[in-house]
Amino acid sequence: MNKISSVILWVAVAVAGAFAFAALALGRGESVNAAWLVTAALSVYFIAYRFYSKYIAERVLQLDDSRPTPAVRHNDGMDYVPTNKWVLYGHHFAAIAGAGPLVGPVLAAQMGFLPGTLWILAGVVVAGAVQDFIVLFASVRRDGKSLGEMIKMELGPVPGALALVGVLAIMIIILAVLALIVVKALTGSPWGLFTIAATIPIALAMGVYMRVIRPGRVGEASVFGVVLLLASIIFGRNVAESATLAPLFTLTGTQLAWALIIYGAVAASLPVWLMLAPRDYLSTFLKIGTVVALAIGIYFVMPPLAMPRTTRFIDGSGPVFAGSLFPFLFITIACGAVSGFHSLISSGTTPKMVEKESHMRFIGFGGMLAESFVAMMALSAACVLDPGIYFAMNAPAAAIGTTAANAAQAISNWGFTITPEMIEQTAKDIGETTILSRAGGAPTLAVGMAQILAKAAGGKAMEAFWYHFAILFEALFILTAVDAGTRVGRFMIQDMLGHVYKPLGNTEFLPANVLATALCVGAWGYFLYQGVVDPLGGINTLWQLFGVGNQMLAGIALLLCTSMLVKMKRERYVWVTLVPTGWLLVTTLTAGLQKIFHSDPKIGFVALANKFSAAAAQGTVLAPAKSIAEMQRVAFNNYLDAVVCGVFVVLVLAMCWYTYLICRQALRQAQPTAQEIPPMTPASMAAD
Amino acid sequence: MSKSDTERLGPPPASPDDSAGASAGARLEGILRSMRKNTRQIFGIPDYERYLAHCAEHHPGEPVLSKREFFAQAIDRKYCKSGPRCC
Repeated sequence: MNKISSVILWVAVAVAGAFAFAALALGRGESVNAAWLVTAALSVYFIAYRFYSKYIAERVLQLDDSRPTPAVRHNDGMDYVPTNKWVLYGHHFAAIAGAGPLVGPVLAAQMGFLPGTLWILAGVVVAGAVQDFIVLFASVRRDGKSLGEMIKMELGPVPGALALVGVLAIMIIILAVLALIVVKALTGSPWGLFTIAATIPIALAMGVYMRVIRPGRVGEASVFGVVLLLASIIFGRNVAESATLAPLFTLTGTQLAWALIIYGAVAASLPVWLMLAPRDYLSTFLKIGTVVALAIGIYFVMPPLAMPRTTRFIDGSGPVFAGSLFPFLFITIACGAVSGFHSLISSGTTPKMVEKESHMRFIGFGGMLAESFVAMMALSAACVLDPGIYFAMNAPAAAIGTTAANAAQAISNWGFTITPEMIEQTAKDIGETTILSRAGGAPTLAVGMAQILAKAAGGKAMEAFWYHFAILFEALFILTAVDAGTRVGRFMIQDMLGHVYKPLGNTEFLPANVLATALCVGAWGYFLYQGVVDPLGGINTLWQLFGVGNQMLAGIALLLCTSMLVKMKRERYVWVTLVPTGWLLVTTLTAGLQKIFHSDPKIGFVALANKFSAAAAQGTVLAPAKSIAEMQRVAFNNYLDAVVCGVFVVLVLAMCWYTYLICRQALRQAQPTAQEIPPMTPASMAAD
Repeated sequence: MSKSDTERLGPPPASPDDSAGASAGARLEGILRSMRKNTRQIFGIPDYERYLAHCAEHHPGEPVLSKREFFAQAIDRKYCKSGPRCC
């Protein structure tokens, strides 16, 4: 009987999903409701979790609850703690969810909602969730080792070192692109900048409260912090309208870039309890709260999608980012479909807290499904916007000019009818002076969220509040990531410097700390500054560089998983990791090589650099550069980007080669050669 | 593995004998306490009471960290050693 009801249930889920997909893909002309998008996503997640993750757990990985996890073996009441599976799911989700799933889908919306939807859903099931799950499994079976250590163990010291270099390079790029998103969102926005600036004293006060006044009282401090944050959003309007205060908080892009660079250096040098930890709690609160509110909002408001299924920009001529659907869609949407960064979390704190092996299916696979759901909501929010507004916010000034009239004309010429009044009214509704060329995803998502949430609560009058709430929410966790990422980057640099000159590797040695912090901030600050002054808008370059790097890291993590399956003598299941690995390698290598060598200067770094350096040699100044010196800088930066991209390509090819050698060797062996912790035998249990 | 079961986080298994005798206020307090514990754990903050229980069971008689030291160390470890977070 139970079996019959289960069959009925899953058939019902499948039918609901099929209806949702039919509504998304087949309708003619009439607009599709965002609720269908969310329904299609949910049915895919439930079916994939129920069937595919079960297959992986039982057949491929053969999870075994009788094997003690690191949390059980090393239980110390602090770091290694067997944790309730729901609680650990929450912890893991809070650690993997960041700005990534919010930005990529918004940028990719220029191609219409369908390409992004299909890639997010297919990618998460075949690649993303599989990677997170299997890396978590690998780490738990290796005593909670990190990705780098596991690559060293299973593939050898050279691939281990290469992977570390790759991770550091991706960290630098991601920090730069995250900071750039904040710059784009806050340029010329006194209301936004005031609320973000207010988070600094609020976090400091919370830090002192939790450390000195009431140790460990995170809940109290966070409630008090959230109330102050909401107050700062409300007061921000007065700042923006005040003749004396508004100019203080109105900064240009380059001023903001310097402010962020200084902030990064100072924040990463403060004790963690003072600012990083309290800000992290605040952003976790807001993150979970906002995601839930948005999901409810979409079902409650049921907004129609204004963006068409596909736009003409799938041919590669898009203003938000250049490059055709294949391969650039697959690197633009990284987190949400598959993200290499998650392999670092799945081999970070989570494996040290897993209570039973069988829980990993829910935490690893299920956690990634939730992240993907966030990406789907970001995509929905961007596609709910009028396409004209979407392009006004995301196209660079080079394409649409700097006035509402010019922008409306340019965008209407692309086939998305919009009037200058609509653009100005949207800016007014959200309490800003302009919405033009605010690329980077955050502001677009904020406008979409503001429109959805205002319909659900507060009406038109609340739109400006919700907009600044959404900006605050994104900027808050981006700044937390900049702070935490700078610290991690510093440790990695110190670790590497330590191999060159021993004292530099000592994390207690102040000059070495300062040097490593300066190197880390200097590196991401350089790319940030370059992005801010980039004629094509910066996001166009940096996000794709990040996408290539991040997806290649996913490829590396999946190569590790592949070699592990082969070494476990489970080669008949190796397609589970080999298929996503192959797809990631094909898309990222194509994208990487196109970014370097493509003859269109909008896509290829070298082509753009050559164009500018050739023009500079002849003494002509190409817009939007204003001098020969600026021209030469554009050329140099593009050569540098080509080199970074080339490093990623070489790195991933080297990893492929090492994995191939290791797998060939393992196939010849009759016995499993994976370096796992052996299962408990009666003898070892007695010794315990 | 019975040790780990007693130390596991999360709401204690509901047992009818306990709840029948306990007042509604005490039960509510218990629920609130476990909610607070779980929320903290999601934020990556370890539980002090469980640490004390662990020490009492496995290292009886040895000195334990004070609440203040425990949280201070937990925060330092979380951000100083752990790997990078996501995009």
